[in-house]
Formats: sequence, C-alpha cells, structure tokens
Amino acid sequence: MKTLITTNLLKFTLVTIILTIIFRMGLSTSITNKMTIAVIICAIVYAVLMWINGNYFGRKEYEYLPIYDIGFRFHLSTFLAHNTVSILWFVFAFESKYENIKVIYVTALIWSVFLIIHFIYYLSVRKTTIKNLDKEDLFE
Amino acid sequence: MTKNLLPDLLSSWEETYKKGQLTLWIFLALKDGQKYVDEIKEFIESKSKNTISCEEQSLYRNLRKYEHIDVVSFENKKGNKGPDRKYYFLTEMGTELLEKFIERNIKLFFSNEINNLLKK
Repeated sequence: MKTLITTNLLKFTLVTIILTIIFRMGLSTSITNKMTIAVIICAIVYAVLMWINGNYFGRKEYEYLPIYDIGFRFHLSTFLAHNTVSILWFVFAFESKYENIKVIYVTALIWSVFLIIHFIYYLSVRKTTIKNLDKEDLFE
Repeated sequence: MTKNLLPDLLSSWEETYKKGQLTLWIFLALKDGQKYVDEIKEFIESKSKNTISCEEQSLYRNLRKYEHIDVVSFENKKGNKGPDRKYYFLTEMGTELLEKFIERNIKLFFSNEINNLLKK
C-alpha cells in the first residue's frame, strides 16, 4: 500500500484539490452571475490545468519508479479529490443558488462507470508485473 | 557500395546488442563489491572499454527498481566530503539471480565449440 501512495501522487492530489476549489469558486460565481461564457472558460481552464498537473507528476512518477498502473492511481485520486471537494462545497453552502447537488451525484455516478472500467484494466495489467513493476521494463 | 554500409550496419547491430546489457554491467559492478553510483558508472565505462555509457540518472532509476524488487540493497556510508553516500550491493536473491543468468546466457560462450568458432 505504501508503495502505491507515493510522494508524487500526494503532490498531484494536493494540486488537484487546490485546482478543484478554484474551479468551484469560478463556477459558482459564474453561475450566480449567469455568465455562460465564464462557465465554459472555467471548465476549459480547469481541464487544461488538470492535464498539465497529471502530465507533470505522472512523468515524474514514471521516471522515479514506474509502479503500475500510474494512470489508474492518478485517476482514482482525481475522482476522490474532485468529488470530495465538490460535495464539501455544497455541505458548506458555497454553491450558487442555481446549482443542485444532484448534478454532483450524477456526474460521480457516470464517472464511476469509467473508473470501474479503468480498474478492470488495472487488474489485468497488474498480472504482467513483478511487485507492481512492468516485467518488460524491469531490466534495461 | 557494400563497404560503405558496414559502419552503419555495425552500429545498428551494436545498438540493439547493447540494449538490455546495462543490468548485467550494474550487477557485475556490484558483484565486484559495494559501490556508490559514481563508482558503478566508472566500473561500467572502464570495464566495457567505453562501449557502454550510462547516465547517472539512468543508473539511479535502475537501482531504485532493483531495490524495489529486492535484488539490490544499500547502506549509507560517509563519503570523503558532504553527505553520506548510498553504497549499493547485491542481496542474496540478486547474487543468485546473477549466477543463474550467467549460467544460462553467458557461459555458453565459453564452450569449446563456440570458442573455436569465435577464434576462427
């Protein structure tokens, strides 16, 4: 377990939490002010920054120790961080009056389907590893 | 025409041949005794007569993998200057792995038949 939760994964998760908080702030403000374009811009900027975040720490993780499957571990952490922040956003009543928590639940439900598919892939990949390292990439 | 191709063919073959050799050289360096990364690099480059070159980053990455699968371990020892150095060594499993690898893949080159062919 300790080998699966690495420093790079924790740093990635921390950045994800910060980005998600900023995203929710932008989203709620834009929705409150009925600024459709700002909502779209918020979503695009969040997606781009998350991609950079994943790419940066994922690459660092691979270069340090390529524990399989990096993609799934980062995906799971994004799922947990994003949805926890989103739910807490509603719990602490930071949301816009036009936002509905059901959207968060439905998004999480759809997302969890993809997460399960990714998990099945992760389990199949793990069969080709030795102590979570890819057999073909072990010796150079 | 054929003569001009020879250097390219040779380097292409060598490039393929060298892939996968770094592990063997690292293990040989550690079989020779405990070493820190600079010493491993120096050993590989001098003993391979500079045919194998390796970056320190690449060595660290490999050593982390070997450490993770318990074939290599390290102990911290004082260096001449600055912080402690990690001195790497082969674990019992690492030593056994190297012995088995040599037995199956290297020793066949020392058989009389192959030796004679190489000398021809």
